[in-house]
Amino acid sequence: MKIKIISVLFIYFLSLGNSILFQHLQAQNDKKNTVRLSVNYVRIMNEKDFLEIKAISKINKKSTRIPNLELFIHNNIDNQLVLLGKSTTNNDGESNYLLNLKKIKTDSTNTYHLKILFKGNDLFKKTAKKISFKKADIYTKIFTKDSINFITAELKDTSNDSLIEGEPLVVQIKRLFKPLKIGDELMFTNNNGAITVPIEQGIPGVDGNLTIEVVLEEHDNYGTVKASIKAPIGVPIVDESTFDKRTMWSPRSKTPIFLLVIPNILTLGLWGFIIYLIINLFKIQKS
Amino acid sequence: MKNTDKLILDLAPQKFGKAGIVWTWILILISLIGIIAYIDQVIKGQVVTNMHDYALWGIYISNFVFFVATSFVGTVTVAVLRLTDNSWRTPIVRIAEIISLAAIIMAGITIMIDMGRPDRLLNLFIHGRLQSPIIWDVIIIPTYIIISLLLLYFPLLPDFALLKSYFKDKNPKLSNAYGKLSLNWTGNKKQKKIQLNSIKIIAILIIPAGFILQTIDAWLFSTLFRVGWDSTNMGAYFISGASVAGVGALVAIIYVIRKAYKLEKYITDLHFDKLGKFLVLTCLIYLYFNINEYLIPEFTSKKEEITHINVLISGEYSSLFWFVIIGGLIIPIIVLLFKNGRKPLPMFLIGLLVVVGSWWKRYLIVTPTLLHPFLPIQGVPESWHHYFPSVHEWLITISTLAMCLLIITMLVRYLPIIPIQRTNDEQEALSENKTPCYEN
Repeated sequence: MKIKIISVLFIYFLSLGNSILFQHLQAQNDKKNTVRLSVNYVRIMNEKDFLEIKAISKINKKSTRIPNLELFIHNNIDNQLVLLGKSTTNNDGESNYLLNLKKIKTDSTNTYHLKILFKGNDLFKKTAKKISFKKADIYTKIFTKDSINFITAELKDTSNDSLIEGEPLVVQIKRLFKPLKIGDELMFTNNNGAITVPIEQGIPGVDGNLTIEVVLEEHDNYGTVKASIKAPIGVPIVDESTFDKRTMWSPRSKTPIFLLVIPNILTLGLWGFIIYLIINLFKIQKS
Repeated sequence: MKNTDKLILDLAPQKFGKAGIVWTWILILISLIGIIAYIDQVIKGQVVTNMHDYALWGIYISNFVFFVATSFVGTVTVAVLRLTDNSWRTPIVRIAEIISLAAIIMAGITIMIDMGRPDRLLNLFIHGRLQSPIIWDVIIIPTYIIISLLLLYFPLLPDFALLKSYFKDKNPKLSNAYGKLSLNWTGNKKQKKIQLNSIKIIAILIIPAGFILQTIDAWLFSTLFRVGWDSTNMGAYFISGASVAGVGALVAIIYVIRKAYKLEKYITDLHFDKLGKFLVLTCLIYLYFNINEYLIPEFTSKKEEITHINVLISGEYSSLFWFVIIGGLIIPIIVLLFKNGRKPLPMFLIGLLVVVGSWWKRYLIVTPTLLHPFLPIQGVPESWHHYFPSVHEWLITISTLAMCLLIITMLVRYLPIIPIQRTNDEQEALSENKTPCYEN
């Protein structure tokens, strides 16, 4: 009987202790902020494939990018996680993780499944984000017809080697800051998975070279796919720098001639008279 | 008693009475307080001012522009009145020359006060670019100081010789100083010829120099692409404004000197009447330019211009703006159009009003424009949209004004404020009904 009572009390205190510990941990977890991961797959043709990851959290009702989060990237295949590597968010809460698609296993439909995991820390709760995508390619070509330059782009699903019809592509010319979009706002691929866009004449480029980009933007199945092609079809940029010229904004060694002449004539003229007047004072003294 | 002796007795520099001594010590005290504040500013840096990235030119620059404007009095009264052959100018020219010299010296000092690192002043000369109007200012200000000094000095030579004799027994030290300053003046033909020739040259020389000075001052603003400054009208606008400030200061100071030295016989109601007419003319011209400056932007209604004008007409600076326009221009014009308004006391009050209006006018030219830049800084603190000078700025600025008055006071103490020799020649010529032969 005594043992029974002791056992009941032991179990009671044990469960009470567990409950307090759980509540404490729960409370600690409640204080932490939630991180939201946004992941986009990006494929730059003939260059690289990578994941564009952003870590955002709502702190004091404000969306804030979270830096220095350690993220683990896994290949998720047949419900098994295979670690591919780690990546840490930069000061802007962003991280680009380079992918080697040859080493990543796909499912039977040639779809890639990845899982990005954040294990949590003192400030943020753990979180994860899954992403699935298929590989697509864009093939571009430039041709001239009736003295007008055209670019044609073909979108192809490499998982089943088929052309993709009815998807929107953007055609743009690479510029220093923001790209210059050309063609219609929405251009969907035709039955052959292609679009054709005329390129305006007179677009300036260094040595007349234009870099034309065709982009499939943030597609649900294929992510972002971008193909670039260089062509000497622009107007060469003429260097109009005034660096070595005499201008109002150049250094003193390159003062415009008229500004050297006129103020100096005026200054010397006025000071010439002043010197003459001072000489006159000496003359008066001696007279 | 010979006429010359009587004139010397009346016009020779006199010791200050009690009021003069108190006045001088007050000016010295204010100047010292300002110097202490300036030393503190040099030690701590311009953080003691209320200037910031928007109002990067504050009260110092407005004060500088005011001094430059006031120094124009030498050009308008001496040179312009001479060229238009206004013989009534005789008793007032020296006071004008003194004001001109004091104001331009203080302008030079004030611009240095505005520099965060005055120890780098020499760099302006070593590394200055002629493309910058600031360098033109650096060149013209010392030039104008020298011309103003010569304009004051040459006509003084005969008077110094007279004073040398006058103080020979009374104050040998002073007599000795006047003797040295007179450059052995005996009044012989050669000396007179050189002096008259020199005065003629200076009187002509100070016209382009004065116009260049005022125009450069205007171009400091108009060459900057800012609302309220970016105007081709600015040069003429500044010249007319400088005439108003200069003549206003001249009227006020002449009244005080006339009263203090009891010079009613020499500076008569006629002089105030003439100066009143001159002042009303300058005020009308300046009013005309003001209408140009404000009406056309209002008419064309560019967004930034309208914002700027609204700030002046009905916004933060409206009370100052209307005080400057009504108090500094319209009331003087109305009062001075009446003969009784051109009597000495009303003229003195109007002169004071014009000077105060002119000072605040420069403040209005400089400050509101800076607070509304074309390229606003993103997320700029609210305080940057407003500017009011700090205690340091006020103390230093008031002390520069006191220093200017101190220079005038000391020159008035030791120089004959009405040309003795010239007045004598004029009176003799008048009695002989001849045209006197002199220049000033």
